[in-house]
Amino acid sequence: MGPVMVGPSSSHTAGTARLGRVAREILDDDPLFVRFVLHPPLAATYRGHGSDFALVGGSIGLNVDDPRIPEAIRIAEQMGVEIEFAEEDMGEVHPNTVRVEIRGKSRSVQITGSSIGGGVIDVFNINGFSAHFKGDSPTLLLFYRDRPGMISEITGIIADEGINIASLACSRKQRGKDAFMQIDVDSPMSTEALARICSTPDVAEAKYLDRIP
Amino acid sequence: MIDSFKTLGELAEGRDLADVFLESDVREHGVPAEQIIEALTKRRQVMRDCIERGKGGGTSMGKLVGNEAKLLNEAFLAGKTFLDPLTIKAELYALSVMGENSRMGVIVAAPTAGAGGVVPGMLLALEEERNVDPAKTVRALVVAGGVGSIVALSAHISGAAGGCQNEVGVATAMGAAAVAYMMDGTPQQSINAAALALKNTLGLVCDPVGGLVEVPCVKRNALFAVHGLTAAQLALVGVASVIPMDEVVEAMVRIGRALPRGLKETAEGGLATTATGCAIGDRLKDEANQRRTQRAEERERLAHERKAGVAS
Repeated sequence: MGPVMVGPSSSHTAGTARLGRVAREILDDDPLFVRFVLHPPLAATYRGHGSDFALVGGSIGLNVDDPRIPEAIRIAEQMGVEIEFAEEDMGEVHPNTVRVEIRGKSRSVQITGSSIGGGVIDVFNINGFSAHFKGDSPTLLLFYRDRPGMISEITGIIADEGINIASLACSRKQRGKDAFMQIDVDSPMSTEALARICSTPDVAEAKYLDRIP
Repeated sequence: MIDSFKTLGELAEGRDLADVFLESDVREHGVPAEQIIEALTKRRQVMRDCIERGKGGGTSMGKLVGNEAKLLNEAFLAGKTFLDPLTIKAELYALSVMGENSRMGVIVAAPTAGAGGVVPGMLLALEEERNVDPAKTVRALVVAGGVGSIVALSAHISGAAGGCQNEVGVATAMGAAAVAYMMDGTPQQSINAAALALKNTLGLVCDPVGGLVEVPCVKRNALFAVHGLTAAQLALVGVASVIPMDEVVEAMVRIGRALPRGLKETAEGGLATTATGCAIGDRLKDEANQRRTQRAEERERLAHERKAGVAS
């Protein structure tokens, strides 16, 4: 049951708003530019279902049940956010798939995910790395340089906190080069633990995301 | 983990179905029962509020629907309807929720927004007409959600994935199971109610006119709320589904795969491509283009003003 949301379609408004929100949360800054690249079946239906409002709403940090979602595009324009929509065939993916390219003052983030119904999302690519992010539990996203011992150091810090890991997945672009780790945890992580993780050698960036509402 | 309706039937034998789902949530996700009950109590209230707002009608975003709930409500209050009050209210409440949904109002996805009128229509009509304790309705929402989550283990819950059977079909199954529960049926009767409801929505396509969740979605929710009540009635008198619920879900997934893309929410088939459907689609496209032009002009004006502001 749920979520409580603004209509008219859970795939097109709730799920897409959450996808926009994931990009915004990973960016962790006010966006200046957001580009939404839609898989053709979504491109065919998104306007009628208000996905444009929802995607934009999520990307400026609105929740799925925020009554301002229908006004999101206007609000984004007032905030000075540049918005762009495009279409691209992404191959064998869920019909309602979108790539969100978001840019803030100093960084940019790119995620690709599907809105699979009932507001449920599956983000399968983050900044070019393969991911399995659903936004339904606290999650640590780690960008780092691939080296032996990294997983053990990071999971050691989490173990010290007494936190249980629900799932862990890594991917890398090349041995010894840029790598990505996604750790879903069962309970919230403290800022101290997060600081320790950030100061671990070869960690480029750590983003801790709570449940995406 | 309750991974199938067969497992559910075995686990729930002789027990309260809502308790079985609540215990499973504690085990699997560490969410205490009180927390779920509290969240669903709020959702029941959101549904109620949404129905109250929706009864008054109003124009949808695409202007294709809007006065259905109002017409039915007025006729009902004036004693000009011929169906029994439970049926009328199930239709009325589903129409009310879907009307709000089509105006981008706040609703509860159940399990989706496009099928979000079925469950509240059935459950809240029954609560009123058969004097069910609202606390029991909340527990029935646990049952509905539990049924939906088992279906979601093997099927995507969206019209884009498998047509309307995956949305309104699943909502009807969830609602039927919950209604059987509210009427003190056994867990097996709830599962049979779900199977009977879902079986008879198989093949239902998703062909929204102009791509909007308006036609046929709004009225379809109302008609299928009634369908779900009849499925629950049959199950409660002991009628079983010959095909077990797990296999009905499998059939739904296979049918969904077999459906052509044009009948899975793309508005490229079915009702959407009838003469009237196409004409509406064209009008909506024109209006959207006009709005885009207006927005572009507005953006330019703002940029111009900002520049002028800097200059002065």
